[in-house]
Amino acid sequence: MEMIQQLLGRLHPLIVHLPIGFIMLALLLQWYDRKQKEWSKLLSLIYFWAGVTAVLACITGYLQYQGEGYSFDSVKWHLWSGIVTALFCFVMHLRLAPKNFSGFMAKAPLSILGIVAFLLISFTGHQGGNITHGEDYLIGPLPNSVKSLLGYEVIEEKELVLTEDNWEEALVYEDVIQPILNSKCVSCHNPKKTKGELLLHSKEGILKGGESGDVLAMHSDESELYNRMVLPMDDDGHMPPEGKKQPTKEEIKLIAAWMDVGHPMKGTVKENKLKKDLFTSFFPTKTYTGHPEMEIAEASKDSIQKIEDYGIYVDPISESTHFLSVSCINKPTFKDSDFERLLSIKQQIAQLDLGGTEVSDAIFTQLAQLPNLSILKLDDTKITGSQIDQLNVLNHLRSINLTGSNFNRDVQLFSSFKNLERVYLYKTEVDQNGPKSLNDGRLVLEYGNYQLPTIPSDSIIY
Amino acid sequence: MKHHSDIVNRLLREKLERETQATTRRHFIKSCAQGMGGLALSSIFMGCDPLSKPKPLAQNSFSERDLNPLSTLAPHYGPKVKSVIYLHMAGAPSQLEMFDYKPELHKYDGQDCPQSLLEGKKFAFIKGTPKLMGPQAEFKQEGESGNWVSNFLPHFKNVVDEVAFLKAVHTDQFNHGPAQLFMHTGSPRLGRPSIGAWATYGLGSENQNLPGFVVLTSGGNTPDAGKSVWGSGFLPSVYQGVQCRSKGDPVLYIDDPDGISRNLKKNTIDAINKINKEEYAKYADPEILARINQYEMAYRMQIAVPEVMNINNEPEHIKQMYGVEPGKESFANNCLLARKLVEDGVRFVQLFDWGWDTHGNVREGSIDMGLRNKCREIDRPMTALIMDLKQRGLLDDTLIVWGGEFGRTPMQENRGNKEMAYKGRDHHGDAFTMWMAGGGIKKGASHGATDDIGFSGIDGRVSVHDVHATILHLLGFNHEEFTYEFQGRPFRLTDVEGEIIKEILA
Repeated sequence: MEMIQQLLGRLHPLIVHLPIGFIMLALLLQWYDRKQKEWSKLLSLIYFWAGVTAVLACITGYLQYQGEGYSFDSVKWHLWSGIVTALFCFVMHLRLAPKNFSGFMAKAPLSILGIVAFLLISFTGHQGGNITHGEDYLIGPLPNSVKSLLGYEVIEEKELVLTEDNWEEALVYEDVIQPILNSKCVSCHNPKKTKGELLLHSKEGILKGGESGDVLAMHSDESELYNRMVLPMDDDGHMPPEGKKQPTKEEIKLIAAWMDVGHPMKGTVKENKLKKDLFTSFFPTKTYTGHPEMEIAEASKDSIQKIEDYGIYVDPISESTHFLSVSCINKPTFKDSDFERLLSIKQQIAQLDLGGTEVSDAIFTQLAQLPNLSILKLDDTKITGSQIDQLNVLNHLRSINLTGSNFNRDVQLFSSFKNLERVYLYKTEVDQNGPKSLNDGRLVLEYGNYQLPTIPSDSIIY
Repeated sequence: MKHHSDIVNRLLREKLERETQATTRRHFIKSCAQGMGGLALSSIFMGCDPLSKPKPLAQNSFSERDLNPLSTLAPHYGPKVKSVIYLHMAGAPSQLEMFDYKPELHKYDGQDCPQSLLEGKKFAFIKGTPKLMGPQAEFKQEGESGNWVSNFLPHFKNVVDEVAFLKAVHTDQFNHGPAQLFMHTGSPRLGRPSIGAWATYGLGSENQNLPGFVVLTSGGNTPDAGKSVWGSGFLPSVYQGVQCRSKGDPVLYIDDPDGISRNLKKNTIDAINKINKEEYAKYADPEILARINQYEMAYRMQIAVPEVMNINNEPEHIKQMYGVEPGKESFANNCLLARKLVEDGVRFVQLFDWGWDTHGNVREGSIDMGLRNKCREIDRPMTALIMDLKQRGLLDDTLIVWGGEFGRTPMQENRGNKEMAYKGRDHHGDAFTMWMAGGGIKKGASHGATDDIGFSGIDGRVSVHDVHATILHLLGFNHEEFTYEFQGRPFRLTDVEGEIIKEILA
């Protein structure tokens, strides 16, 4: 029986469109007939069918409200306005019927009644839409400024972010567990939409549990909340349901760990003795992308084409940035004088590979014109580094590869490079016993020259 | 004469009338429908354009990528590495003698394997109840990371802090061929493109004189799965791996025959390509483009390949570091070549080393002797490869992947339910070790753990698809969006699975 009830309930979104269609048809015909008033008989019939289907919609709607776990508060406007609309259809039917038995109705002007019908169906439909899609569905695509202007509360979805410094002091429930639930569970377990009678938007809700009892336990294996999340994806009981945003492995692990220490609702992470490795994956990571962290205008296709026609590769670093990587791997004859060809894209060049080319020390003056240069390769060139100091104005420069060049300067000069992280000096003429790092360890100097001495076992054949 | 032409005209008219009568309205409608169906199907099946953009059947203009299929493209997001060197130990090395230290297994040495472990499992050779066999190597924690490395790999400890281990990789294949295919194409059956083909298809290749995907083999044999492990599957065949040899000519028949000048060769190729381009304009078959490109590439390779494949010019200390044996086919030579190829902008270098199938049936295939020899053969070269890439600043741009197609059992093999001549282990896919090193990899990490005897993964299990997703991620691809339209549906290297192994990413 429950099955049939639920099935009929789920037909509600289908059936509601019948009265909508009838009413809209009636309103349109009414408009065409506003002068002649010859179609009243037909209009009355249409409103009759609108009323009948609206009653069906009300019944299925009620079944759905019963079967799908909506709270009365969230559906009441839709429910009442739906019933009013159904009744109003019959009023219209009677008003337009050839034998007009409602004397007082005869006086009500048809145009006003039509407008009322239109408002009723619009309001009811909108309320219904809000229930299925959420109240912010329609305004969702609007920019935040317009939203707040319309009087909507703008909620920024808070992701769980902890740092190396504050993780111990974070409140275990408010700052760790609740944000995970907010982003992955609350959309279906909130006071408006309460699937399985379970509320996960608050401490009280999670402690109370849902229709099948407690969701928390002193051990994760016994907890419904945890077990549902680790069920295989194709299991019907898996939560969140297939198609919804899934919690990450790390989030699930964290919820399990929290459960295993007795799901404390108070205190900090430190007080509850949760281990650091549970949290490290939530620390913001400095992912180095190989280009400055900023937006840049796109280089013109023409200038890129011209450079490529000369045999130099110009490649976008990725689809998400306009910064470019330029390589002379197929142009070993590249000379200092060729550099001016690159100036048309000087803002966009973040990576430049001049390895194995014919450039000389005069190239540094020119390289200093690339404000966003991050990775520079000058390996296997003739440069000695006599002008390399000029590059210390490049604030984004992270790495310089001088392997196999004639570089012979004192490596201390690199301490004036603010953000430089790595210099490769293998097979250069610098003192291989120089400092291994500069600038308090931020800049690593790689001299290479690794050896793998022969050991006795190298020659033992079994 | 007039009479004669009348007859001809009448005959012609009659023929025409017969034809019109023969083609009924039904015929006309039927052939119309077939034509329309064909048009519709052509748009479904013509899914061979790069990055899955459909294109009209016949076209007379070539896109940049069509004519130069190896031109470089932008990945989805900032790539961590530009190149990959994949070291595959064909035959499956024993993780229990190399990286996965199981002291508990010592205690059970010689005891019967518990039935509970054997139930529902399939083994290639093990029959009845096999006996457990303790680790045949000694282990020590090495480097600052304290990761375990056995004494079979005495050099590797020098770079252990550079690599990230995956201790609980699993596969569902237990025979070499399918398992190798699975490891390299994401499917144990034939027909899918290999990782290297996907990488070159997606990113192209920088050096216009060298193929984007080079394969080097050693150990006296090629992998059991054959050349499909570096094939291009349904991708245009220009993206397949090019096998180069470290002994003799690097590529067979690369020299011009006597009496053929390079100019004549160039003219010949130009003429052939001109005809091929006309063919393509007519049929739009991407295989023709692959052919055009391969002619041109072969011409340029004649100069570039002998140069890059020549390890004799390397300085003595580098040769010593890798332990190369010029003129022979060896893993060490291939490692040095891999560095040279990556240095020259080759996108994907695939090394296969054969001879790791240590069942214990012959001396070379024994855990305590044959395996030890194989370990010695790779220990120095792979350590040197990491060091050499590092000192040249190439390790930041390169990903090195090491592994086999599966692992080996904690039980001693008992083929035919008899005791074997030597100590050996059977194929085992439930848990085995792989490692990665290079750009974007968390140095010194170790992810996953196996149970006390190394039979199954108990924590941090990762699948072959997860490994693929991670490799693609490091190359800058979202493995779920990196697809190729074939036979009416988009295909992925990771099919419908794969999760990036974040635990080993920096």
